[in-house]
Amino acid sequence: MKQNFYRKIIQGLSLTSVMFVFQACYGTPQDFGNDINISGIVTSFATGKPIKGIKITIENSSQFQLTDSEGKFVMYVPKMDSYNINFEDVDSISNGSFTTKDTTLITVNNSIYLNMTLKNK
Amino acid sequence: MNSLQKYISRQFKKTETEIHNLNYLFWECTSRCNLSCLHCGSDCVSNASIPDMPLGDFLKAIDTIPTPAGNFTVVLTGGEPLLRNDLEQCGREIRKRGMRWSMVTNGYLYTAEKQNELLNAGMGALTISLDGMEGSHNWLRNNKQSFTKVDKAIDLAASTPRLNFDVVTCVNQHNFTELDAIYNYLTDKKVKAWRLFTIVPIGRAKNHPELFLSACQFKELMEFIAHKRKENEMDVKFSCEGFVGDYETKVRDGIFFCRAGINIGSVLIDGSISACPNIDRSFAQGNIYTDNFYEVWQTRFQPFRKRNWTRTGKCEKCSDYKNCGGSGMHLWHGEKKNVLVCHNEKLKHVSL
Repeated sequence: MKQNFYRKIIQGLSLTSVMFVFQACYGTPQDFGNDINISGIVTSFATGKPIKGIKITIENSSQFQLTDSEGKFVMYVPKMDSYNINFEDVDSISNGSFTTKDTTLITVNNSIYLNMTLKNK
Repeated sequence: MNSLQKYISRQFKKTETEIHNLNYLFWECTSRCNLSCLHCGSDCVSNASIPDMPLGDFLKAIDTIPTPAGNFTVVLTGGEPLLRNDLEQCGREIRKRGMRWSMVTNGYLYTAEKQNELLNAGMGALTISLDGMEGSHNWLRNNKQSFTKVDKAIDLAASTPRLNFDVVTCVNQHNFTELDAIYNYLTDKKVKAWRLFTIVPIGRAKNHPELFLSACQFKELMEFIAHKRKENEMDVKFSCEGFVGDYETKVRDGIFFCRAGINIGSVLIDGSISACPNIDRSFAQGNIYTDNFYEVWQTRFQPFRKRNWTRTGKCEKCSDYKNCGGSGMHLWHGEKKNVLVCHNEKLKHVSL
């Protein structure tokens, strides 16, 4: 407690937070966690069964992910105020054929869980 | 650096050492490497006989940490981490524990698909090695394709706003005259941060004297960094490899502070518990296969936290010792009777 108090005094005196930000020799810069976790499951509207191979993309980001055999996805994406998320069936008829769907989300905390259903084409 | 700055810096180091919060952990997850660089500090080889450390073994070690410190980062290093085929899973398991992770890579295997996979798994920072323009980089990296590959990797990493990303360069006789060219190359690519190292005679580098800068070149390097920092186009800095006397605060953001064993720990390929991987392995404080990792961090590490043993050799009567503290821990090897390189001494004896 006393040490942390002293630490804050030094931080104030140095007029900088630089002393608390560092990287080791041959290490990377530190990560300040500028991301959120988006996860969820994609199921068929008609059958309720999970859909494999749906491509999830985030607008204004180059990242994407495909749902696994349980229809699940988990991805960390850069923190933004809101997200336009696109769900697209990209594997032709391999796992059925589904319509594309978009959804917009407002960021309120550091993780979002989505339960998404897609209709058959 | 004025007297007040020096005093505050010393008090700060003292307090940090007493608290010794672990918030930066290297994981030497493989000793395999796809290159055979002339300067490799770890002297790793392409077909390392030591198997990669299983993810489960590392997780058991970090699970002993009761509450990870703020911004606790696991830095995956090697060898070349991208040779592991479970890297995505490694990253996801680290994030599940409320920790962050990053990676040091030579960029050879860093493709768009790989970047997507690693970002999805929560990678937040990245360091890529670039050791010169094409000829010098390929020479040092001992591979004719390495520049082409790293060029693409840098483009990819610079394209994502998510990564806290920097490029590191080991300055040597071959690339010393290319510093301006490398600077322009990186600014053209919108790279935000560039960290420069020199090479010290450890690992494979011991056998290549052409890798080391003369004292005069070293001073020119300090001048180059100080000048580029004033231009403020890119965050250029000298690494934390040693105390540089009057150039402190001119060539890096903070004042030299070797945090090995104070805030920086490591789990090495054989399970050894130490600090930065380039530190002499005889400094290992325990082993995850026989000891509780966090208990070792909390109760051992005395050579890292009480460094008065470094007051020997050329440090014994040095007037800058109280500000330098024996320079970087990686500069103490073998019998540990003398510091391997004194950057401050080099600078003192040269005028440009």
